[in-house]
Amino acid sequence: MYDLIVIGAGPGGYEAAAHAARMGKKVALAEKQYVGGTCLNVGCIPTKAFLKSSKVFTECKNAAAYGVSTGDVRFDLPAVVARKNKVVGTLTRGVESMLKRAGVEIIRGHARLASRSAVSIGGETLEARNILIASGSRPAVPPIPGIDSETVLDSTAALNLTSVPDRLAIIGGGYIGLEFASFFAAVGARVTVLEMLPQIAAGTDQDIANRLQQALRKSGVEFKTSCRVTRIEGDAVRFVSQDGSETSLTADRILNSTGRAPVLADLSLEEAGVDFDSKGIRTSDQGKTNVPGVWACGDVTGRRLLAHAATREGIVAVNNMFGGKDRIRYDAIPAVIYTHPEVAGVGKTEEELRAQGIEYRKAVVPMAVAGRFLVENEGGSGTLKVLAGARHGEILGVHAIGDSSSEFIVAAAAMVEFEMCAAEARQLVFPHPTVSEALREAILELKQ
Amino acid sequence: MPKLGNTVEECLLAKWRKQPGEAVAAGEVIAEIETDKASFDLTAPVAGTLLAAFFNEGALVPVYTNICVIGEAGENAEVFRPSPGVPPPAPEPPAVLPAASEVAAAGAAPAPPAAPVSPPPPAKGTLSPRARRFAERHGFSPGTLSGSGPGGRVLERDIRAAYYSSPRLSSLAARYVESGYEIQAEGSGAGGLVLARDLGEPGVALSGVRARIARRMRESLASTAQYTLNASADATGLLALRGKIKAARANGAAIADVNIGDMIMFCAIRTLVEMPWLNVEFSGGKLYQRSSVHIGFACDTPRGLLVPVVRASEKLTIEELAGRIRALTQQALDGSISPDDLAGGTFTVSNLGSFGIESFTPILNPPQVAVLGVDAIQLKPVRRNGGVEFVDHLGLSLTLDHQVIDGAPGARFLQALRNHVENIESLSGLRFQETLHV
Repeated sequence: MYDLIVIGAGPGGYEAAAHAARMGKKVALAEKQYVGGTCLNVGCIPTKAFLKSSKVFTECKNAAAYGVSTGDVRFDLPAVVARKNKVVGTLTRGVESMLKRAGVEIIRGHARLASRSAVSIGGETLEARNILIASGSRPAVPPIPGIDSETVLDSTAALNLTSVPDRLAIIGGGYIGLEFASFFAAVGARVTVLEMLPQIAAGTDQDIANRLQQALRKSGVEFKTSCRVTRIEGDAVRFVSQDGSETSLTADRILNSTGRAPVLADLSLEEAGVDFDSKGIRTSDQGKTNVPGVWACGDVTGRRLLAHAATREGIVAVNNMFGGKDRIRYDAIPAVIYTHPEVAGVGKTEEELRAQGIEYRKAVVPMAVAGRFLVENEGGSGTLKVLAGARHGEILGVHAIGDSSSEFIVAAAAMVEFEMCAAEARQLVFPHPTVSEALREAILELKQ
Repeated sequence: MPKLGNTVEECLLAKWRKQPGEAVAAGEVIAEIETDKASFDLTAPVAGTLLAAFFNEGALVPVYTNICVIGEAGENAEVFRPSPGVPPPAPEPPAVLPAASEVAAAGAAPAPPAAPVSPPPPAKGTLSPRARRFAERHGFSPGTLSGSGPGGRVLERDIRAAYYSSPRLSSLAARYVESGYEIQAEGSGAGGLVLARDLGEPGVALSGVRARIARRMRESLASTAQYTLNASADATGLLALRGKIKAARANGAAIADVNIGDMIMFCAIRTLVEMPWLNVEFSGGKLYQRSSVHIGFACDTPRGLLVPVVRASEKLTIEELAGRIRALTQQALDGSISPDDLAGGTFTVSNLGSFGIESFTPILNPPQVAVLGVDAIQLKPVRRNGGVEFVDHLGLSLTLDHQVIDGAPGARFLQALRNHVENIESLSGLRFQETLHV
């Protein structure tokens, strides 16, 4: 009898398993494909490895601006893929050894619910007091005729190309599509992003999203917003523009990045009576499903499709399983888009504040107010926006575009999470010189 | 501070309407004061400038005490300042008394505790210097804290424990709490941190009158064994008499405008005279028979619920009673009623019939043992002459204190009351000239 069986070894599942094992619980972690899940193997980490390579490539080409002369700079995609694989290998081995040290038993194979308190893996049935479903998500396939043609890639396939396509069409201007757009444009592809909404990077503060679009356009990405893809015929993507006219563009490769769908099939959820719909398994803020003893976290719940949200949800579920009191709060979960330049934000956007009728004041500063930003980003630009409550000055949201904003957004997340007011935030000491000082400057600029 | 009635010894200074330095006209309201029954406006007896106000809002001021001075600007008002009448409270006996056995062993008769000798043991709640420093450093005010040091002295470990076990507020939540918001839910933030969303809207303190009503209602329910009997009386007679009075008045007859409420009050008074066991007060375990019926009636006023009392009501004719009720109601509504007319009732009537209330549970006004609720008049099917007829009926809800009135005597009272209601015309003693019947 296990205290906990976790289904799925992504950042939701493996962190939860390790957390429970460190509490002295008997824990098994079932994984059918790869430890580390989408994030480590075909998501967050490999894409960041790609983007780093493209950034090095761009910086080498611009090395003269930093007073460094280089020879001929070339981009070697197979070598980039090999490096990505090396990084992924190192990390997955690291996760496996961490799980072993914590005392988690890793069981390879496809797991499904055998009952409300048992999991069957490869013909074997294991009893458990608690089951945590962390089966994750996979690229969604929209109902577009021709989406299954050979020219169409999903994000997983895009990470294993052997050559950079000349023309790349990306369907979906969310963070996945934009990161690939940034990468492929930097390494020489002619990239067009097709987005159904009028704005790219849905959910991002509009000012920041607009600046991102400008920056990517400058690096060669073409955008077609408010357009709906109707059909894919060989290398042609047909789409209807906002004015109703149908046109098409041709591309060597077409990347489908329209979103991700929860992995719900083959888990025997229905048989066990677990409540779910097409968006995912329904869970409470404690990670409970409707079935006692069955819990869920991460992308499979459809709540917040982010690795760090999954991790937190998993920890919350484990804490509640074993007598602790914890609940997931989504108010201060940072979101990052790792494009060049990168975008980071936390808390409410200006659009959300307006829609919710919350009175606010704001300060917007160029990232260059931080000397370090100028040092690090020759010719680069960036912007940071702080939104605070009109009356008490509580930090409601921070949104930034500019490199390394992902590294200090956690400071803003702490301010939002703990409802810090500008008066207190002004007392924090920021290391000098760092890019994070842009946040300090913006908080100082907030009207008292 | 005027004396607002024979029984009033002190009044609450509820609100200053004028501030020192302001000009006041004669008859202008300068302050609002409250007795334990009602609130009143205090008017300036002369015109001039308010030179000084001697009491803060919320102070209880003995009657016949100067509360302010009106005069010419520049005059010395201080000579009118009341001397502090109440001596400061005597020092409390030391917290630690010698144990009885020690006293016995000393062979002395138990004596009143001696006055504290110098230095007195630290009173419960005093902070050690380290504890005080901790409190200051953490911006923490511990309230009343019982310390673990000698004599209840609060040590650093006590205040530290209190600090870490009290709810921690986010800085935003702390700002809301400062402006009156209240912590209602458990902290939902990290580690139980109280966030702004865990706070509830600030509460509003009850006004003096309302707070007293609240206290009396609570005390009533806590100190009595209330139960309510519901019955109804044929209202045909009531409605007929009311119709006759209206018609007579329309024809210029010199008859008072007695309404149905007055008639029911009159019936209640007559019943109380016949069955005096309800006209009693129960206080301190003793029963006090009241020889006179001082009947109170609940009156909904802008200042809250008031209960004016008609004294010696058994001596009044129905027309006199109606006139007295009308006069008291008017005074209660305009705030001019004397506190003496709001006290001393032996029985109370509460009429919610005009709101269509079919039955309710009136709350006793101790030490009274009975209160009559008057309900709406409704049609009720009655078996009559081998068939069913619909007849107007008046609902009556009688709450009694079971400590002193059992169900059967209570029911007998209600039965007698019903009989009076059903025979109101003869009971009322009103006479109509035959010619009025058109």
